[in-house]
Amino acid sequence: MNLDDELKSALRREDPPLGFTQRVVARARTKPVPKTGMFRMIWAAGIAAMLVIGFTAVSEYRQVKAERAASQAVVALRIAAAKLNMTRDKVLKLEN
Amino acid sequence: MRKLLGTMLLMGCAAVQLPAQIRITGLDGLASKAKATVDITLDSSMLQMAGGFLGANGKDQDAAKLKELLAGLKAITVRSYEFKEDGQYRREDLDPIRAQLRAPGWSKIVSVSEEKELTEIYMRTDQGKVAGFAIIAAEPKELTVVAIEGTIDLNDLSKLGALGIPSIPIPNQGKDRNDKDRNKKGKEE
Repeated sequence: MNLDDELKSALRREDPPLGFTQRVVARARTKPVPKTGMFRMIWAAGIAAMLVIGFTAVSEYRQVKAERAASQAVVALRIAAAKLNMTRDKVLKLEN
Repeated sequence: MRKLLGTMLLMGCAAVQLPAQIRITGLDGLASKAKATVDITLDSSMLQMAGGFLGANGKDQDAAKLKELLAGLKAITVRSYEFKEDGQYRREDLDPIRAQLRAPGWSKIVSVSEEKELTEIYMRTDQGKVAGFAIIAAEPKELTVVAIEGTIDLNDLSKLGALGIPSIPIPNQGKDRNDKDRNKKGKEE
């Protein structure tokens, strides 16, 4: 058998097996539906909203923490100042 | 070998830094006996946050001064206990703190000891500047320990009167001001 005959034999016309068309159509139907633009926008808006809420919560927490630290610092300095003042008064009293 | 030398160097630095960090220990048991307790511990990051808050919210000059004062501080620790009755603490309770204040770098600048009261002010200087100070005020019904680390000008602290902090002239820190305040007090009397 020469090359031409081999090629003709290999590339001869054949009918598809039974049910081939139905199987192709069924598989095509099960392919995922592409996401629509609206669906993506809803996702993006949801993520953006979560980011904004998260950022706001963190900055609110930091603000509360800073406010508490500031009030504690003022109280601490007030106590330090009062005790220094008290000591000065005692020293002046002893001098007199 | 290099790692070992590096570690030893770091340990040496830490050992040098240790005397500056006053730990208020031995007073924890007093909180349960006290009718009022103040327990404040602020490290440098908290002080930075406090300064930021005051800078953002305080529009007056005092807030700006307070922010400036806080910028130089590394830590503030305050323990204050107010009791209903006398004798709720012993002077020995203060020994661990006083022992730390005997370390090199610290010096006692004022000590007033009376029958039932003891007041001591310690100061740590670094290159001629105040790098920290500590106050021990032991009264019959009140015990207060304050430790402040960092660069602080006590005259600046004394100027923060508008925030409820009384004016406090400090000896050897601006003689003119002391004289002015004494004159003022004399006039008031």
